[in-house]
Amino acid sequence: MRYFLFVPLILFVVLAQVATASYFPLMGVAANPLLVVLMCWAIVRGPKETMVLIPLAGIFKDLISSDPVGTSVLALLPIVPLAAMRERWPTESDFLPTLAVVAMASLCYHLLYMMVLTAVGDGPPWLQSPTRVLLPAALFNALLTPIFYLPVRWATSLSEMVRPRMRVLG
Amino acid sequence: MRTLVWLLVVGLFALLSIVLSQLGALDPFKNVALTVTSPLERGLRRAASPAADFLDNTAKRQDLEGENRLLRQQIEELTAEIASLKESQSTAADLAGLAEIEKGRPDDRFLVARVIARDPSNLKERLAIDRGSNDGVAEGMVVMSQGQSVVGVISKVLDDFAWVTLITDPNSNVNAMVLESRAQGVVSGSLHSGLSMDLSPQDAKVEPGNTVATSGLGGNLPQALLIGQVAAVRGEPQDLFKEAEVEPAASLSRLENVLVLTSFVATHLTSP
Repeated sequence: MRYFLFVPLILFVVLAQVATASYFPLMGVAANPLLVVLMCWAIVRGPKETMVLIPLAGIFKDLISSDPVGTSVLALLPIVPLAAMRERWPTESDFLPTLAVVAMASLCYHLLYMMVLTAVGDGPPWLQSPTRVLLPAALFNALLTPIFYLPVRWATSLSEMVRPRMRVLG
Repeated sequence: MRTLVWLLVVGLFALLSIVLSQLGALDPFKNVALTVTSPLERGLRRAASPAADFLDNTAKRQDLEGENRLLRQQIEELTAEIASLKESQSTAADLAGLAEIEKGRPDDRFLVARVIARDPSNLKERLAIDRGSNDGVAEGMVVMSQGQSVVGVISKVLDDFAWVTLITDPNSNVNAMVLESRAQGVVSGSLHSGLSMDLSPQDAKVEPGNTVATSGLGGNLPQALLIGQVAAVRGEPQDLFKEAEVEPAASLSRLENVLVLTSFVATHLTSP
């Protein structure tokens, strides 16, 4: 399966997140579906493809939000090393470790994001952030994981089933 | 090794982009991106709105929700009117000098703008409007709701769009006063816990239900613009300052149209 065919889908996730995420808060925070999709993608399909998707999606998100361009790219970077670490320690089931890695990626995302905002003079209150944003967002994003993990897993399995047949036919 | 190289390259690229963005070099790209995506975003928001309303009001019926919205708007308009009347009364009775200031201030001019996006960040409270420098919008201009209460201040202007920092943003601080007692303080935003009014003297009379409006101190905002109502008063008698929770008059989470006060120019005071 050519992963770049999914670039429009990823960009749609960004658009939907920017447009509607604040409509569906949980514990006072909005979810970050882009982060969850990319993390699931990196775990199921390996980090190589996300190395292309992260800059594309990150720049697009920053272009249509109030953040300086590059902020989301920087904040999404930990997805790749986290997925690489996950690959080094395989477990029987992917699902539960994925939840943990998504929560970890969410924490890293917000920490880097807060650092950038502070550096550009728009810093949030650091003392309040862990309890009001970092932890609730990590939990919310982890809860959201099954919604994206299962379709990514299913799409990947389907493409693996289709590919050998196509080779035989070709 | 490849991952490390990628991290370095993309990390440096991101940092360079941030610097360029801060210098305003990427603003034209942002303007184009918002031009292209704003109709799509509006469509998505419209599509998601019923689901969001449903989740918000699972226990309520649809008509109750509509009625609630209507009543809320009426309350906001009436409270704004009361605030204006109280202010006028007070001005006439106690502060004759203010008349000079009023005379010196030109008639308010507004620009209607549509809310086209809301920043998805959990750490900021910003929204984008479809008016920019081409329409005469400038940084520091005050943005108000249709009920004429304060929504926020323009913080970033593109050619055709502008970002508004809401009064609930953690970095927002507005000099305010309680109209009933004239007690002054600072209304600040916070992370997901609404507005609070702080720095009022402990002996200041602040009670739930009191009306909070801008004080005009500092010159960043005009005087007597409605902010909201005191919802609760917190703190202990031994505290240095009194703190109050303030309920914003405008429904900031569901704004669709706003007014930009183009006639007011913020003054930036320097220390003496």
